[in-house]
Amino acid sequence: MTNLEIYTDVFVRTFGVTKEQAKTLKYQEIEAWDSVGHMGLITALEETFGITMESDDIIDLSSFEKGRDIFKKYNIEI
Amino acid sequence: MYNGSILRNLDAIQIQEYQQNRYPWFFVDFIEEVLPGKYARGYKNFTYNEWFFPPHFEHKPIVPGCILIESLVQVLLMTFLTLYETKGKVATDAKCQAVFKREIKPGDRMDIVANLDSYKRGIAKGNSSGYVGGELACKAEYIITVPEIMLRFRPRI
Repeated sequence: MTNLEIYTDVFVRTFGVTKEQAKTLKYQEIEAWDSVGHMGLITALEETFGITMESDDIIDLSSFEKGRDIFKKYNIEI
Repeated sequence: MYNGSILRNLDAIQIQEYQQNRYPWFFVDFIEEVLPGKYARGYKNFTYNEWFFPPHFEHKPIVPGCILIESLVQVLLMTFLTLYETKGKVATDAKCQAVFKREIKPGDRMDIVANLDSYKRGIAKGNSSGYVGGELACKAEYIITVPEIMLRFRPRI
């Protein structure tokens, strides 16, 4: 699997959306991505990619696309 | 009371140093042992003097399910509200899935064993089980938030 497929799969598993829905997803756009869901997403991403995210990055990760940019900081190209 | 990282024999007054639940919404009598970040063991004695027995029910008093859920979670709270960063903070339930196995009546003592699966950035996941006379009476799995901490990580929109 590519990093993009793995990254997408985390959104699919965490929020119960389809791959297509995941790719345009934004914070609070669906019921599952609330503040509690956000913490679940961050934990899943950290465990999947073996990283620990900084607080500012956790706050900035407000959409699927935004997360792809943020991951560059961690030397992960998605 | 404090022995290394383990806390032992906390009475009702000491328990309230760690959590914000207060009478009439305080349902832990004693905490026998807590390993912060891991587990807690304690108990609740249900006497007929409890405020909820006369209305629930007049001729057959039993502990309401919501009180059992709350008793279980108040022991689970001790597993992470004893951590340095969360001590004494308000915690709220985000998710709960409970199973009730038997009725609990006046005079019963419920022994409660709680295990914390994870705690990170204001989100705790764990489970708690209640026993009467060594028999499983109820159990529940929880997701609990510490809003003051969790909301620091809420995305900017």
